[in-house]
Amino acid sequence: MADRVERLTNLLALLLETREPLTLDVIAAELGGQYPDGHDARRASFERDKAALRDIGIEISSETLTGDRAGQMGYWVVRNEMEIPDLGLDEEELRALQLALAATRPGSETGREAMWKLGGGSADGQVFVAMSVPTAEVLPVLRGALGDRRAVSFSYAGVDRVVEPWGILLRDGFWYLVGHDRSRGDRRTFRVDRIGEGRVTVLDDAVVVPSDFDIRSALPADPMMLGADQHSVRSARVSIGRQRAFSAVRELGHDRVLARNEDGSVEVAVPFANLDALVSWVLGFLEHAVVLEPDDVRDEVVRRLRAVAS
Amino acid sequence: MSGGRAARSAENRLRRLLVVLPWLMERGAASVAETAQRFDISESDLVRDLELASMCGLPPYVDELIDLFIDDDGTIVVGVPRLFLRPLRLTEEEAFELLAAGRAAMQLPGADPDGALNRGLRKLAVGLGEDDTGVLVVSPNPSEVTRLAEAAREGLEVAVVYRSRTRDEATERVLSPFLTFQDHGNWYVTAHDSLSDEVRAFRVDRIESMEVGGASGHVPPEGIDVPNTWFADADIARVDLRLGPAGRWVVERYPVDEVSEPDGDGWISARLAVTGEAWLARLLLRLGDQVEVVGPESMRSVGREAARRLLAVYGET
Repeated sequence: MADRVERLTNLLALLLETREPLTLDVIAAELGGQYPDGHDARRASFERDKAALRDIGIEISSETLTGDRAGQMGYWVVRNEMEIPDLGLDEEELRALQLALAATRPGSETGREAMWKLGGGSADGQVFVAMSVPTAEVLPVLRGALGDRRAVSFSYAGVDRVVEPWGILLRDGFWYLVGHDRSRGDRRTFRVDRIGEGRVTVLDDAVVVPSDFDIRSALPADPMMLGADQHSVRSARVSIGRQRAFSAVRELGHDRVLARNEDGSVEVAVPFANLDALVSWVLGFLEHAVVLEPDDVRDEVVRRLRAVAS
Repeated sequence: MSGGRAARSAENRLRRLLVVLPWLMERGAASVAETAQRFDISESDLVRDLELASMCGLPPYVDELIDLFIDDDGTIVVGVPRLFLRPLRLTEEEAFELLAAGRAAMQLPGADPDGALNRGLRKLAVGLGEDDTGVLVVSPNPSEVTRLAEAAREGLEVAVVYRSRTRDEATERVLSPFLTFQDHGNWYVTAHDSLSDEVRAFRVDRIESMEVGGASGHVPPEGIDVPNTWFADADIARVDLRLGPAGRWVVERYPVDEVSEPDGDGWISARLAVTGEAWLARLLLRLGDQVEVVGPESMRSVGREAARRLLAVYGET
């Protein structure tokens, strides 16, 4: 029996070269004996080959024929849809993409295949600064839908959603999908690794991303300023112990330092709009941070501590 | 680094052929050895698949579809380039891999907005029909990271004052950095450490001061790779929590092994990686009544004890 790679190559060549859709009978005749004779076995082999080609990224077009072959399916492959267009990447740009892969997705088979298609090599550069970029099975599908401006449906926290994707963001090691949740009628952020596995369906509905949408603002960088406007920002005076003074001042900035004490502790002014977030920030220092004022913030910290201590 | 050769299924062999053939057709000729090395395939497998491809034929072009032969000195010679002149389109997986890697790398210290990577990414994005903002990576870049990365590149040593996570004390060390990397929003530097005489990873935000010195004399050990699964480390302890509706953000924010569906009251169960007792104490205090530690037993009193210590600081009991 002929090698399956040979049959697949011949099949692909035939479907690429043909000027008209070919029926399975014609395909089998052209490939002269490479498919089984029996109708069902032949159909099964052909379907397996179609699936194998699709796996590699080759879509076989098909349509129901008319005329003297009415009712039969005809097959062909569109060369322009199969081949990668020339993206015009020069050597330096290819090299930079290789280094980017080495720094963020080392050892990635998918990245290596992609570089080969672009004409680059799989050389690994030495990397001195790197970031671990996680993957999730549904990310490529979501990006595809985003690029095509299509809505998607998936299950999240046990609830089925229909979402218009507006952007995909990686922050602090997690991928987020931001979009309009039609089921809720509001903008929502979803953690991509918690979307039900392999269950993203791309819908036909077209999506319009609002022109003023900026994904950078979708996840506020500083939770203490959530809901902030010019009237709601207050300030708390917090004492930070010697051991954590350095990192607190680095986070807040030197202009927030109200006093530096001889024991190495500092007093800082912390602007906030969201009381919960401020309390959470202060508690993150454990016994190395104490709220001095205002009283309502201090009381809230004590109330929260009592609830845990009891 | 080669990631082990994929099983030679018919799909994989054809996939490889369809990148090798266009490359050969563009060059006209290449040695078997060079081609095999470039595409990470054994020479015998390559020769076998190329010979098979050159025998592919359909009427009326029997044996002429793919016009190439391998001569006696191991050179692959292409006759008339035909049929597979261009590689296949990027799959969605490949497109995402490149965009994500490129956009992430653009966030690393030293990335140049006018540089080759960003130019390449723009061309790629245009080819994939997406605008510049569809897939985005944001990352904090403290200035220490830039200096550590430079020291690694130049092979210099760095004197640091480092605050240890476990003992909460500052130590003076001389680090010889090999790699700086970010994982889950935190920066680390992998370096030879003068104090322990070992190669270790240090959190950059615990470096209180640093001074770059002369040549380090330490060479990177073999196999120093970018850690890809920092928190998958089995050595890191785990804690089982029950989280209330207002505490469910925790599973969005931290690495979790398992998460349950919400129960009738909206509470979920989750298993988290715990990087230290102080870390757990902070988390429990912040969550207040929205968390319950299920186990292990040794972690059940961590929150209560931390709260009592802190109440004493406030002069409350």
